[in-house]
Amino acid sequence: MTTASPATRAQDPSAAPLERLTRLLGELTGPGQPFSPEALAELDRTEAFPTEACRALDTFGLRRFYVPVEHGGALESFDVVMRLLRAVSRIDLTVALSHGKTYLGAAATWIAGEPEAARRLGRRIAEGTPVSCALTERHHGSDLMAGEVTARPAPDGGWLLSGEKWLINLATRGGLVTVLARTDEEGGPRGFSLFLVDKSRLAPEHFTHLPKVPTYGIRGADISGIAFHDAPLPEDALIGRVGEGIEIIVKALHFSRTGCVAMSLGAGDHALALAAEFVAQDADGVRLAQDPYVRRELGEAAAGLLLSDAAGLVAARSPHALAGEMSVVSAVAKAYVPTEVDDLIARLLHLLGPYGLLRPDDPHTGFAKVERDHRIIGIFDGSSLVNRSALIEQFPRIARGYAKGRWDAEGLAEATNPHAPLRPMRPRELGLVSSGGCSIVAGLPAAVGELRDLAVRGHASTALTTLAGQLLDVSDRLHQDMAAIRFPPRAVPGHAFRLAERFESCFAAASALHLWLRAAARARGPIPEAALLACLVKALTDLEEPVDDADRTAFDDLAEAVLSRPSAPFHSLLDHVEPTGSQQGAAS
Amino acid sequence: MSDPHAEPHTVDSLREWLTNCVASHLERSADTIDTSVRLSDYGLDSLYVLSVAGELEDHLDISLDPTLLWDNPTIDALSEALAKELAQYA
Ligand SMILES: Cc1cc2nc3c(=O)[nH]c(=O)nc-3n(C[C@H](O)[C@H](O)[C@H](O)COP(=O)(O)OP(=O)(O)OC[C@H]3O[C@@H](n4cnc5c(N)ncnc54)[C@H](O)[C@@H]3O)c2cc1C
Repeated sequence: MTTASPATRAQDPSAAPLERLTRLLGELTGPGQPFSPEALAELDRTEAFPTEACRALDTFGLRRFYVPVEHGGALESFDVVMRLLRAVSRIDLTVALSHGKTYLGAAATWIAGEPEAARRLGRRIAEGTPVSCALTERHHGSDLMAGEVTARPAPDGGWLLSGEKWLINLATRGGLVTVLARTDEEGGPRGFSLFLVDKSRLAPEHFTHLPKVPTYGIRGADISGIAFHDAPLPEDALIGRVGEGIEIIVKALHFSRTGCVAMSLGAGDHALALAAEFVAQDADGVRLAQDPYVRRELGEAAAGLLLSDAAGLVAARSPHALAGEMSVVSAVAKAYVPTEVDDLIARLLHLLGPYGLLRPDDPHTGFAKVERDHRIIGIFDGSSLVNRSALIEQFPRIARGYAKGRWDAEGLAEATNPHAPLRPMRPRELGLVSSGGCSIVAGLPAAVGELRDLAVRGHASTALTTLAGQLLDVSDRLHQDMAAIRFPPRAVPGHAFRLAERFESCFAAASALHLWLRAAARARGPIPEAALLACLVKALTDLEEPVDDADRTAFDDLAEAVLSRPSAPFHSLLDHVEPTGSQQGAAS
Repeated sequence: MSDPHAEPHTVDSLREWLTNCVASHLERSADTIDTSVRLSDYGLDSLYVLSVAGELEDHLDISLDPTLLWDNPTIDALSEALAKELAQYA
């Protein structure tokens, strides 16, 4: 989706806007400001939309990053918009989802790539129009091809849109809505089309907003619906061609699912920071952080976040580097990261005890709000189960690539080296299924080989090579099991979902190892390995593999690092190995 | 690349291979499959056929846009479309 030449980019293209946004957000969290804890708690309590906070992000120019450069915006690298959304999510997920939805709503138009339509949408976004995306209906969610909202050709040209979309973020506040509608009564994969509905061009009798739905988390968000009554749409409302709706939206979901991952990571950062601050403080003369169990738990939670961060960083670079594999990468990342973050939030909640459950206006913590807000990420935009199901459909391809030792070496190197310039995104390379299996995991055997070579030169410890070897054994066995999965239509066997989860853990651990190896190659000498050790121990623990108690001290080391700077932003694996500040990971 | 010594694929040979492939997915015998019936009518929904596309790629040793299976919903139509596709590789 981008055209700028890599040569024109700075070393870390996201640094400037990310630094500016982080600084601004720091100011905006001050007393009386739109991101102050009190203001956000009040919005949550009254279930009110974060208008002021969204306006502040508009003023910053965040919307420009939702529009690809070739369509008049500032979106050059997907990885940058992901970091920006993560930075907002770190403070408040409701705001991030409300503002970031515009990117998700627009993605279908960028993928269809019709220049005139894309430029028009780019202009509207720049002017401040929020964009929504309405796929779900009251009786149909995950199954996109069951939708009943229908568009019929109008007698005098254009279309007439009818039916109700419900449980939609920004359905009421969005000025533009991307709508998936049936254009062939028979339905089927070619029976749906996408339309960009401009509410400002519809007469009031042609649509009705449905009431806000009260939700468990993200209480202030505009979760509502919209019903169309023979709404006349001009010919140019059609996104792509008639019958391409499912194909385009499935590809757009590759982006929005990866976007959800960035928001999930931000919520994870927030939860970890709150918990670290809490256990580091003196409570009645006792400092929880001194308790070995508390440290171990905190360290394991931090390791879960490091692994998620590694998977998320690689996923955010993949639309450029491994575009043809996005159907696997986005499914893995969307299933894995929110699950891992839900788990770490639950783990940290135990440490906070009652303080974790207090209302957000309690001076102690907004932890309960983070817990509630984050729950939604694993449910919408394709639940973890739906994503695992999409992954299972591709098991044969993935297993075949792994068995044959086939992967895209160039794409893998680009995806796992944050210093490598990213090639422009090319929507045409996206596919409904992965062309090449999964290079991140298929490249694991070679990565373990590379690690062993480093060990021979004294640049990696035996502990590290042993854990990596154990991971490789798991991965080899797993791919054999994946290859053996056969099932008739609509009968995915239950144990395939367990294999999918195991694959996700292998993907995250492989991502961490690749990132570390590329950093080691840049350093041309030994680099710190504690953070990678913690990642591997965590992945093997999640995989229910035996791990020595001695290895588990990696969690304690990580806890130590977190506690030494409880209020500092999350440090990614790369910050741990490149402490010079030259690289900020997907995190900071 | 296709193996130059392999038998060339014809519409008939493709139809036969597809029939067997579909039959094995449905766990039924090939002679119960009507090649003019939509695959979706046999329960091979649009996501499931994407995995059939993978097997086809392996069999033919070419890379296919899986939406070919969406645009050609019966075995008959698909055999014709594949033969055309293969002609481009010849
Ligand atoms: C706060 C919020 C915001 C939302 N925003 C939007 C939005 O902006 N736009 C939009 O279009 N929709 C939105 N949704 C809708 C959301 O995407 C759907 O709720 C979701 O897709 C699930 O659909 P469903 O509720 O019909 O459940 P179903 O599809 O009926 O699923 C029910 C259960 O079955 C599981 N399941 C479904 N298919 C499979 C499968 N193939 N394999 C295994 N398990 C499966 C699901 O995980 C789920 O647990 C939002 C929902 C919420 C709660």
